[in-house]
Amino acid sequence: MAEKVSTDDNIRLDDLAPKVFRIAGVIGVAALGVAGVLGASAGDQLNQFLHSYLVAYMWALSIGLGALWWVTLQHLVNAKWSVVVRRIGELLAANMPLLAILALPIIVPMLMGNTSLYHWLDQAHVAHDEVLSHKKPYLNIGFFMVRAVFYFVFWAVLSRYFFKRSLKQDESGSPEFIARMNRVSAPGMIFFGITVTFAAFDFVMSTEAHWFSTIFGVYYFAGCVVSVHAVLALVLFYLQGQGRLKNSVSVHHYHDIGKMLFAFVVFWAYIGFSQYMLYWYANIPEETVFFKVRIGGDWFYLAWFLVIGHFVVPFFGLMSRHVKRSRFWLGFWAVWMLVAHYVDLYWIIMPTMHAERVSFGLVDITSLIGLASLLIAGTAYNARRVNLIPTKDPRLAKSLAFENY
Amino acid sequence: MSDKQTDAKKSTGEAAKTEPDAPKDGAGTSKGGAGGTPLHGLIAEYETPGALLSASKKVRDAGFKNWDTYTPFPVHGIDGAMGIKPTVLPWIVLGAGLTGLATGILLQWWTNTYDYPYLTSGKPMWSLPAHVPVMFELMVLFSAITALVAMLALNGLPEYSHPLDLKKYFARATDDRFFLVIQASDPRFAEDETWKLLEGTHPTAVDRLEEDRVTPANMPRPLVFGLVLVVLGALVPFALIARARVSTSEKPRIHIIPDMDFQEKFKSQRMNPVFEDKRAMRPELEGTVAVGALEDDDHLYRGKLGDEWAREFPAQIPISDSTMKRGQQEFGVFCAPCHGQVGHGDGMVNERAVELAQGTWVPASDVTQEYLRKQPVGELFNTITHGIRNMPPYGPQISPEDRWAIVLYVRALQRSRGATIQDVPEADRGSLK
Repeated sequence: MAEKVSTDDNIRLDDLAPKVFRIAGVIGVAALGVAGVLGASAGDQLNQFLHSYLVAYMWALSIGLGALWWVTLQHLVNAKWSVVVRRIGELLAANMPLLAILALPIIVPMLMGNTSLYHWLDQAHVAHDEVLSHKKPYLNIGFFMVRAVFYFVFWAVLSRYFFKRSLKQDESGSPEFIARMNRVSAPGMIFFGITVTFAAFDFVMSTEAHWFSTIFGVYYFAGCVVSVHAVLALVLFYLQGQGRLKNSVSVHHYHDIGKMLFAFVVFWAYIGFSQYMLYWYANIPEETVFFKVRIGGDWFYLAWFLVIGHFVVPFFGLMSRHVKRSRFWLGFWAVWMLVAHYVDLYWIIMPTMHAERVSFGLVDITSLIGLASLLIAGTAYNARRVNLIPTKDPRLAKSLAFENY
Repeated sequence: MSDKQTDAKKSTGEAAKTEPDAPKDGAGTSKGGAGGTPLHGLIAEYETPGALLSASKKVRDAGFKNWDTYTPFPVHGIDGAMGIKPTVLPWIVLGAGLTGLATGILLQWWTNTYDYPYLTSGKPMWSLPAHVPVMFELMVLFSAITALVAMLALNGLPEYSHPLDLKKYFARATDDRFFLVIQASDPRFAEDETWKLLEGTHPTAVDRLEEDRVTPANMPRPLVFGLVLVVLGALVPFALIARARVSTSEKPRIHIIPDMDFQEKFKSQRMNPVFEDKRAMRPELEGTVAVGALEDDDHLYRGKLGDEWAREFPAQIPISDSTMKRGQQEFGVFCAPCHGQVGHGDGMVNERAVELAQGTWVPASDVTQEYLRKQPVGELFNTITHGIRNMPPYGPQISPEDRWAIVLYVRALQRSRGATIQDVPEADRGSLK
């Protein structure tokens, strides 16, 4: 059946890959350039730029991390339904080296002594701050860099490992690769959990350096999984619109992606509410300060948007199987969730800079467009010479024949 | 599914079956029926899910309605092959989930906010965040139980007896065989034709399926009796609760969780050996101020501007109708018992004390008298705060804002005492005549 597919279906991007790479690449570089110029000319020590960039970057990173988690999961549970979709996940996850480079606009200013984003970098400030001086053994530039390098190296190695092994199997067809990836996925998943948790602590939670939440990493992870399923659906819609994978990916696969999207919309709300309720109940100032700022001023409306728009509305919207099997509606909710996820990160990060007012501006938009475009360009680059389906995976036939009720 | 009213005519007079408990080797070697036993339907056996799927499609296309398949595991594609329509179960579960959600909200509102308001952790009586977990759990509980019960009900389960129970070989439906049963109740059922149809689907065997006349149709009495006992037993706790609600008891209550009822902690006004002065309540530390107790505004908190009594109200107190109404209310609560409703010093406590004539009572002042009219508002405020003669201080009981409101109301009483028609707004003068 695998042979049948490769002749029956268009599973190569061919000239589409360089085209997408060029367009998205140019847009991405240009948009980031504009963001950088606007940020540098604002004369606020990159304060606005760094915050806007961090929001957009964490958004893009969540897609890459979500994809890495998703690929690891498919190997871990030996999933069969997803084999025809798995290569798309591998392509998205293989952007990890690119995402490591894109983290430089955050990391380089840190090394150059810019303290706009992370106040714990400011030694004079830390010296007078009881809480931060106690956190110094963890929150210091040296250890931060060591951790950051570890995260990115681990993510890059794991994602490239899955990608390369899967491509090698396309050539040799040996089922041995599946068994090996299955073995690697278990420890890979454990370290993935640890690195995502601490990366969320380091890059996002430490912007509010006094505050702490042990569930914060899980909260960010929930956003990662929501976004990757949204992106998977959208990428497949695009590819099928371009005449690729038309006979391989069916409504049954969309149905499963929709189920996962629905499940993790609920998971996000569960984690978000768990975090909120414990702080609300204990009502201890050092814990509630995070929410006090984020339900004050304009942020109040964003907080309610998240409750309604990131949970209640998509919860009912995605509940029906007819929605998950409809291209239009699954695509609609995928875009909706990606927007909601951006608002989520914006609501988490931005109040450290603008405590009362939401001032969504050009730097935010250009950063987002830039990073999203570069992610698309990177994915197209990864896909330029590969099959869009793991053609020699022994489970491919089952995945092609997969039916969902 | 089962139809006990099967048309009996078809099977009457047919030859008795030789081996009622074994499928025939090969299709159609015998189709005898036990004399007099009505026919339930025809059963065909298949070795693979694929064979069952293709047989199902044929039966579906032949237009049968009352038929079913039996498999050891969920066979992919069987729904389509059998032409089964989407189930209504999801809608039932959605309804149950929303009912559970509403029950969670109502239950908590009624028990905690309405019927027995109970303050927990200083939170408002109606605190949605605290109620969400129970709403969530009840939603899941209602959904899960309804999904199970409705699924059983939609399938007509549980069934006490079924003709298939009599076929020993049918036990393989839980192991390695796939069965298809067409019921005689189907309008298209005609024994010979249907038999041929099933034979044409390449089964390993076809068999007649007679109505169950071996197992009693009704549940055995001991089982019914046992179930009734269980139901009645389940009512006992409710009966005990109902009785406890309307009766009194002299026995001390049972302490189920003693370490919660008798906690090792110090209560106010008790001894605490830890401290040198043995007081459980700790006095404020010298040189410290409690949060929100700084009171660094002399005008607002002490009625003073420098060394003088303030002649104006502090900026924080709006001179408005609502302040006046608040002052009237607080005056009625704290002042009127001695000073009287309009402040003439004729409150009920004062009247009674004068009547007793014990010699220790300083009569309550008329708050509208001349020298009090001339007193600055700050001094009136100070009197309320610290008391005067045998009037006790009200500072600890009434908030500063409310004390100022009382001063405002006292000023109104003073002005109304010597009021002339000129003090009434022109528009309202007519109503006094």
